[in-house]
Amino acid sequence: MKKRLLVCDDEEPIRLLLTESLQDIYDIVEASNGKDALSLALREHFDLVIMDIKMPQVHGLEAIERIREKDKRIPIIIISAYRPMEDDIVVKTSNVAAFITKPIDISALRAKIFELIGE
Amino acid sequence: MKKRILLLLRFVLILATILMMTYSRRGLHLLSPGYLVALLYFISNIVFYFIPEHKFSRPVVTFAIFLIDIIAISLAIYLAQGMQTDFYLIYFLIIFIASVGQDLRGSIPIAVVASFLYGWLLMRTNPGTSIFDSAILIRIPFIFIVSIISSYWSTEIRRELSEKKELENFARRLEQEIAKMAADETDLKSYHDTVINSVASGVIAVSKDGTITTINPEAARVLGASQSSFMDKNIKDIEGLEQMWDKMREVIGSNTPSDRIQISIKNADDETIPIGLSVSPMSSTNATISGCVGILRDLSDIKALEAKLRHAERLSYLGKMASWVAHEIRNPLTAIDGFSQLLAKTRDQDKLKAFSTEIHRGTQRINHIIDDILTFARTKTHIKAVDIHLRGLITQLTENMGNVRIFISGDVDTLIKGEEESLKSLFNNLISNSVDAMDKDPKITIKFYKEDQWLITELADNGKGMSDETVQRLFTPFFTTKSRGTGLGLAIVKKIVDDHGGKLEIESEEGKGTTCRVYLPAVEE
Repeated sequence: MKKRLLVCDDEEPIRLLLTESLQDIYDIVEASNGKDALSLALREHFDLVIMDIKMPQVHGLEAIERIREKDKRIPIIIISAYRPMEDDIVVKTSNVAAFITKPIDISALRAKIFELIGE
Repeated sequence: MKKRILLLLRFVLILATILMMTYSRRGLHLLSPGYLVALLYFISNIVFYFIPEHKFSRPVVTFAIFLIDIIAISLAIYLAQGMQTDFYLIYFLIIFIASVGQDLRGSIPIAVVASFLYGWLLMRTNPGTSIFDSAILIRIPFIFIVSIISSYWSTEIRRELSEKKELENFARRLEQEIAKMAADETDLKSYHDTVINSVASGVIAVSKDGTITTINPEAARVLGASQSSFMDKNIKDIEGLEQMWDKMREVIGSNTPSDRIQISIKNADDETIPIGLSVSPMSSTNATISGCVGILRDLSDIKALEAKLRHAERLSYLGKMASWVAHEIRNPLTAIDGFSQLLAKTRDQDKLKAFSTEIHRGTQRINHIIDDILTFARTKTHIKAVDIHLRGLITQLTENMGNVRIFISGDVDTLIKGEEESLKSLFNNLISNSVDAMDKDPKITIKFYKEDQWLITELADNGKGMSDETVQRLFTPFFTTKSRGTGLGLAIVKKIVDDHGGKLEIESEEGKGTTCRVYLPAVEE
């Protein structure tokens, strides 16, 4: 059975890109904002979460905190147009497995996911 | 009468009495009663010496003293049996002395008493003397004549003396008053000088022809030379103050105070200095304009501070701008980069098409961002204005708004002068702000109406509204309350409205919604 990934980004092209790039190996579930992502993550089982930070409704960092309350071990990868520490974005490194800055290098992302959860 | 003089005269009287007694029938004997009386009289004079001066100034006192004197002298003459000698002369002497320093009211009673005593003495020593005897008929009227004349002249002299004294007093008071007034005036002038010299602003007063009449230390400092070097010079002759004199001449001409304006002057060191200047006309007492007074303030420090602040602001904007650009561009870049990688691996025709569309959209978006930056960064824009049917343009923009209901009403025909692309961007920004602010039952009401030279577009939403604090910062670039906002939207809106020579009003109430009114210049019919 394929492993399940939750992809959350409010930019539709980014979601499409990630789905197209990863769906050969994984099952991809998309969320377009932090609120949807949170309710999905709390309700269903995922092997890994890919999360943008700056999003409407529920901010990515807040969503991550909430997910961590429920699940201490699930790997979370942040994808952001900001760099960590830039514009007051402080990420608790213990909470996230990786911080990938846009533009995303697709093969590097795939390698990172493989390293974290395998196929 | 003064005590000293009175006592001196009495002393003369005593000597005269004693002298007379020497030639009297009984002659001068040390133990004769006449001599004793004279001696007592002399002692009384010494006693009087110790009586305070002010008691003597009362007329009743002098009157009493002379009364006693007359009685005493008469007694002395009687006892000395001196009527045969020229004793009666003593009476003239005493009447004369008593009348000096008395008016008629004082001297006549003494003359009356003297006459009686004299008459009595005469009758006593020469019994049978007729009342028509020359000794009575001639001497007694003489007593009165001497009394009247001496008292009259003494009154006259006293009056003149007192008048003179009064005049002198008056002159002295006048002198004192004048001195006081002069001192007051000096005080007032020095007080005014102190006030003007203490003012932190520069004060410079000129007469109608431009002669400097007053300049305080601060004004002199700003103008870069000493106070004294400006006094009485004509401002027209001072190089670098042309703008100041222009303004002053204008105020003198119009006789109305000026608003505070900003001018630049050249100081004595030939440095150009920005100053704030306000000028008021000066009127003399008869209401004709006599010149003007200028209040000036050195603005160079403020200007330097402003420039520094602007620089810091610009740097801060630049930083925020760079961060914003980076963020906005990285998203479409991710799409372009990612999809172009996918293109190489895909053979599926539909997917190829979809990926290339995404790549195209990404580049368009980047282009759009660049447009925004340029719009925002342009300092002065000359728009290529054409006649635009704004209602038509906005109707087009608000098609396909999904669940947002749009109500458009009002003016149908009015055209405005504007640039189509900018106006689209303007209203797109406002509408998308409204859409973002609305939650359930989103509704935007758009009204068009004319007012003066404007066509006003009013957009009202039923969104969550904004706090006063947010409203105040609306046009600050990079200020945003949205998690995905750029903070440039309203700054761009403002810029476009300004470029069109229009106005923008935004009213908002938390929980109720926001209303924007855009004023754009209507085309004259």
